[in-house]
Amino acid sequence: MTPFIPALSATRAPLLLAIMTIATVVLALSGVAFGSSWIPIDRVAAVILGAGEKTQSLIVLQLRLPRVVIAILAGGGMAVAGFLLQKITRNSLASPGVLGVIDGGALGVVIFLAALSDESNTLVTSIVFQPLAAMAGATLGIAAVFLLSGRQSVSAVRLLLFGIAVGAVAKALVMVMMLIGPIYRTSQAARWIAGAVNEVNWTEIQITALLLLPLLVLSLAVARKLPPADLDEVSARSVGLDLPVFRLLVFAVAAALTAVSVAFVGAIGFVGLMAPHLARLIVGRSMVAGIIGSFLLGAFMLVGADLVVRVLFAPTEVPAGTVTAIIGAPYFLFLLMSKQRHDG
Amino acid sequence: MTANPAPSITIDGLTLAYPGKTVLDTVTLAIPRGKITVLAGPNGCGKSTLLRAIRRLHRPAAGRVLLEDIDVADLSEKALARHIGLLAQNPSAPEDMTVEELVRLGRYPHQTMLQRWDAQDTRALEAAMAGTGVASLRDRPLGSLSGGQVQRVWIAMVLAQETEIVCLDEPVNHLDLAHQLDCLDLVRQLNAEFGRTIVLVLHDLNLAARYADQLVFMRDGGVAACGTPDALMTQDLIARVFNVDAMIITDPAYGRPLCLPLRTC
Repeated sequence: MTPFIPALSATRAPLLLAIMTIATVVLALSGVAFGSSWIPIDRVAAVILGAGEKTQSLIVLQLRLPRVVIAILAGGGMAVAGFLLQKITRNSLASPGVLGVIDGGALGVVIFLAALSDESNTLVTSIVFQPLAAMAGATLGIAAVFLLSGRQSVSAVRLLLFGIAVGAVAKALVMVMMLIGPIYRTSQAARWIAGAVNEVNWTEIQITALLLLPLLVLSLAVARKLPPADLDEVSARSVGLDLPVFRLLVFAVAAALTAVSVAFVGAIGFVGLMAPHLARLIVGRSMVAGIIGSFLLGAFMLVGADLVVRVLFAPTEVPAGTVTAIIGAPYFLFLLMSKQRHDG
Repeated sequence: MTANPAPSITIDGLTLAYPGKTVLDTVTLAIPRGKITVLAGPNGCGKSTLLRAIRRLHRPAAGRVLLEDIDVADLSEKALARHIGLLAQNPSAPEDMTVEELVRLGRYPHQTMLQRWDAQDTRALEAAMAGTGVASLRDRPLGSLSGGQVQRVWIAMVLAQETEIVCLDEPVNHLDLAHQLDCLDLVRQLNAEFGRTIVLVLHDLNLAARYADQLVFMRDGGVAACGTPDALMTQDLIARVFNVDAMIITDPAYGRPLCLPLRTC
């Protein structure tokens, strides 16, 4: 499974991360510049710095910037969750999408929307609770996968089978919720399931950012403890990593990261799988650089996916989640096939 | 080193059970300081389980493991990892991990949030790599090494941990004859030069007799016999523990007892 990558010296990681940051910022600015009307990047920068003209300010600040910002947060958050899950399960196929985390989160959100919306499609409670509902669902999803798989969870492919099964149950329950519910709930939930970054407002972005930031800091702290998790269970424990406790902590952090990331944009698949792989290829095996690299690449991918749907399909709003799935699903199949050859 | 050293580890009435099966049944045993103790016995006798229980990888149903006079149950994970090192039976690490990266992980229990990598860690890392002869391989990925080399790197990791007790669970499994001797000579060197107390699980009775200071025969989750190889390698005991009729001769090269298995009994 692990390709032979020449070890990159640790000194190159900061440079590579800096380049990735610049690339993400440039892409994000382009994401704001592109749309039904082109706004030159220098004008975009001017608006962001508070010196733009009125029409452009409206377009940039109310229409385009929110979707780019949420794409950065959601893509990055999911990528970090994927990185943590791949590390702690020692399984390069693990990701929030295949371990029941995203579907669990989806179920949490749909139940939340169904239970707490009134006839006029407005929530009777604060939107702040939507990420918490997603978190509860995501945690239940991953907990179900690991409780059901039990001792089999050490096998990469078997863990995935349980993840896919739990995900399917959650998806089916989401369907039932949609079919038995009133029509407005169906359209609301359908958008969420496809995963789209438009129609996100600044309040939702603030909630996401406020919840995501402490989780990312926690992820970095966790990552510093993570190196022995590369080893088999007995070896990791014998150098002093309290794996049984630590594993639960990592699952909880990954579930929370995923839930917060997807709470408002919906289920965006495969970013959490691909971004950590790419990060590892670029910055090597370092844990902290891997987390930062995963965040940047996840952000880059989702901003890019959203840009692609806006440029290719305008004026139709195609959910960005479809683009990540179109690229991610074949990649996942490829990984599964190469895994098969090794594991028999 | 005194002639009759105080026990480094005392196993006191240790019982370990899974639902429906008792794996260790009130095991009582002393591991002498600065010696090589080898646990041997037929398949399923509980020797690997005992080794892992010494390192607290299993929770005992009854009894305790004392390190000097401290119950290992009272130690934190990292504190325990500074006292007892354990090389797993089939350890695995990513193929693209380099030799030095793996050996560095041996320093993990010595680092805290406040105390980062320091000169002491570098010294231990270099000593471990030099002592096991893997320093020249430091930048090589593990996937590019032979089985014998990889085993040396794992031993280097355990050595870098700087524990007074080193446990090794069947370290010569899957190694060819030359690498088996090479690996066990290295273990003996850790014992002689670095003064580590060694607890080894070995399958091969003759290798066990050759390298052990104290030999422990286990059967059905208990200690069947414990003593020097000369005292334990008898026709009667081997028949009782291993169900094998054997002839015991003296190895002409090393003067150790040698078992020639004849037939099962």
